[in-house]
Amino acid sequence: MTLGLVAALLFAQSYYTPDEAQALFREGNDAFYKDPPDYAAAKAAYLKLLEHGHDGPDVLFNLGTACLANGELGPAVLYLERARRLKRADDIETNLAAARARQGDQLVGGVPTSAPFFERVADATDDDVVSALSLGSLWLTLGLALLFRRLVPGRRGWATFLLVMSIITAAVTTSLVGIDVWVQTHYVEGVVMPDTARVRDFPGDSARVAFEVHAGLKVRIMEESGKFVRIRLSNNLEGWVDREGVTPL
Amino acid sequence: MKKTGSALALATVLFAAAAHAEVEFYQTVDRQKVGTEDTFRLTIVVGNAPEGATVQYPAPNDFEVLQTSQSTQMSYSLGSGNQGVIKRVQKYTLVMRANRAGKLTIPPAALATAQKTYKTDSIVMEAVKGRLQADAAPPPSGRPSLPPGFPDPFQGFFGDDDPFGGQPQVPEPDVPRSEQDLFVRATLDKETAYVGEQLNLTLHIYSRVELSSVDAVTMPKLEGFLSEDLDSPTQLAPEQRVINGVPYRSYLLRRRALFALKPGVITIGAAEADITTGMFFQGHRVHRKGNALTVTIKALPKEAAGLTVGHWRIGAEASQTTVQVGTPIQVRVALEGKGHLKSATLPKLTGPAALRIYEPTTTDKSAITRGTLGGRRVQEYVVLPQQTGSFVLPGLTLQYFNPESNRVEESKTDPITVTVTPGAGGANFAAAPSNVGTANDGPKNRLEAGGLKQLRHTANFGAASRPMWQRSWFAPAAAGPLALGLAFGAFGLIRRLGGATDPASEKKKKARAARARLAAAEKLKRSGKTQDFYGEVEKALFGFLEARLGFAAAGLTREQLDQKMSEAGVSELVRARVKSSLETCDMGRFAPGMGDVHARASALDEAAAAMEAWDSK
Repeated sequence: MTLGLVAALLFAQSYYTPDEAQALFREGNDAFYKDPPDYAAAKAAYLKLLEHGHDGPDVLFNLGTACLANGELGPAVLYLERARRLKRADDIETNLAAARARQGDQLVGGVPTSAPFFERVADATDDDVVSALSLGSLWLTLGLALLFRRLVPGRRGWATFLLVMSIITAAVTTSLVGIDVWVQTHYVEGVVMPDTARVRDFPGDSARVAFEVHAGLKVRIMEESGKFVRIRLSNNLEGWVDREGVTPL
Repeated sequence: MKKTGSALALATVLFAAAAHAEVEFYQTVDRQKVGTEDTFRLTIVVGNAPEGATVQYPAPNDFEVLQTSQSTQMSYSLGSGNQGVIKRVQKYTLVMRANRAGKLTIPPAALATAQKTYKTDSIVMEAVKGRLQADAAPPPSGRPSLPPGFPDPFQGFFGDDDPFGGQPQVPEPDVPRSEQDLFVRATLDKETAYVGEQLNLTLHIYSRVELSSVDAVTMPKLEGFLSEDLDSPTQLAPEQRVINGVPYRSYLLRRRALFALKPGVITIGAAEADITTGMFFQGHRVHRKGNALTVTIKALPKEAAGLTVGHWRIGAEASQTTVQVGTPIQVRVALEGKGHLKSATLPKLTGPAALRIYEPTTTDKSAITRGTLGGRRVQEYVVLPQQTGSFVLPGLTLQYFNPESNRVEESKTDPITVTVTPGAGGANFAAAPSNVGTANDGPKNRLEAGGLKQLRHTANFGAASRPMWQRSWFAPAAAGPLALGLAFGAFGLIRRLGGATDPASEKKKKARAARARLAAAEKLKRSGKTQDFYGEVEKALFGFLEARLGFAAAGLTREQLDQKMSEAGVSELVRARVKSSLETCDMGRFAPGMGDVHARASALDEAAAAMEAWDSK
């Protein structure tokens, strides 16, 4: 009985009703827009929402923007990128561009590579649309195949055409879903969080520091070793950085 | 010009009004105790000296005679019997300095007459090492000093342009023993100063000989200071000065203003000069090295760290306060006062985004007032109003440290309100048709986008949390069609393998084969031979009949076939269609005109219709 009461109390404290969540969201917005602005209070309100499971692109976007206005470049890029991954929007792209403009690293030399082909394909497609198309075309293919068998030979012309189109659509969309799944599971990106992070040649505290990266830089996380992760910059520069210096997206 | 104590000075008595008057002869000093760096005066007084008498100065070994001078006084008085008596007193003044410390004696002076030689008493003096005499403040050059207690009647009369206060006072320098006829001395007007406070360094030549020229002056390195020239004369201008009672001609070589950059005790090295003495071809060149100086620089108080030092005031003014949008105005911010102008920083003019403020142009004009460096800096901003409305350029505040008052002071300007009205282009320009384009291109209320996008005002907490493919039902739903297709295929295969002897399936198989044959006949509809086409259609029909009736119908006559179909329960209508289709095939192989496409299509449709009618019976 007592345990049940305690559990209920804890649950009540850690849960916001939709109205409470909206009120906290507005509280963050009010802190952001008051004169003078209180970006720290706005950020705290949005973080509370995240901690209590009320996430989504809107909260992430506002949190990233508050961090950006507060001069915290690392968290700003992190939350804006996370919002972008959930749902693309113009305002996210604009604020991300502003964050990138303030970022202190200029990548030069090497072989400047954009993201790998699969990642670019996944990035260019809408996950939900592709998933829905894939699902629909698969079932349509099955239906058309059954119908095809029922039709008299010689009366199958239109059915053949539809069946072929359906098979092509199913193959393409299912491949895109497969690419998306592969990218999500194999292509891990992160954002440099501290103002300065030292990147070493080898995963060890005594290894030579090859270069430094700064807050807000988006990197690819290649592998892990102990407390280090190997990162790769977009110009193919690589090194090992303390795990705490890079937060995965 | 050096004088020695043993030198003989001859005085000739021109006349004696009363030869019988008693001769008065003695010597005195103005003090009994002196320092070896001090000078003192020995006065030899001769009264009623007979004609032809000569005075011999004392020739002490322990003293140095720096200067001699002579004066004569005459007085007239009534003596006994109302007889007038004229008294004549001659005074010989010797400026002297002790050569060493100790009890020293000035020997007697002598007065030689035709009858006898008079001698004064010797004088015993006490000399100590160094200086006992306080530095007497020299009177200001050109303006006589006033007795203490008397107010200066000219105080404030001249204001800042006091012609008698033009230059700072130079303290009396120490006279070096070895080069006392010609020496170079540097002086500072202060012994301590704050970082950034002005110090005046002055370099003089002091001379008792004729100077021809100063050929070269090497100033010391002024490390730790910013320095500005105050005075650097190109011609030697002598000025009379009496130092320790000795008259000198002083020549100003340089005067510089120094501003210390950091606190601490800073030593300024000695300046040097190459000087040519004597006139014309008699001159010779000498090198003189001046004295080093030490000054203590104090750090600014904590509250004044980083502030401009001096005494300043700022002002701001706008060329217009009511303008049309797009019309620039000028805002001048001026800084004026005393101090190092080049180091002074003006607060930056800021304003609302509606007023675009361009980088200013800066004009500096240095000035020297009574030896103090200062000046005026003017920054001129161009301000371009971009929106209509009333906007305020906030007032500027300059904080500075005033070393004279030892505290942080500030000077402020008033805010400037600028009223921006809409551009006049619209109606006025629109009236002239040729200028319609100009009116449209005129100044606009500029509303510039940029910066961060606004926050989202409402949140949808649950939406778009993850892609569809990550949801649990997606994988089974996507695998469903494939699995079902495989299942149907497997089922059909199993049925095909397991149902080979099943009569029903055999019938269906034959029926499918018959339909397939009919489809093959369709391929011959346009291009194949007529007999082949109708043969295929007939084979398809017989195949179908065999599948449906369970026996081969190819060898039966039409009557036999009709009977079998009747026995099998086939309706009259279907039987008629089948027979009609078979007859069409027979006729098609032999009758002319049955080979065209329309006839073939008709035969195909007829056969297909017969099959359909049978299956739907």
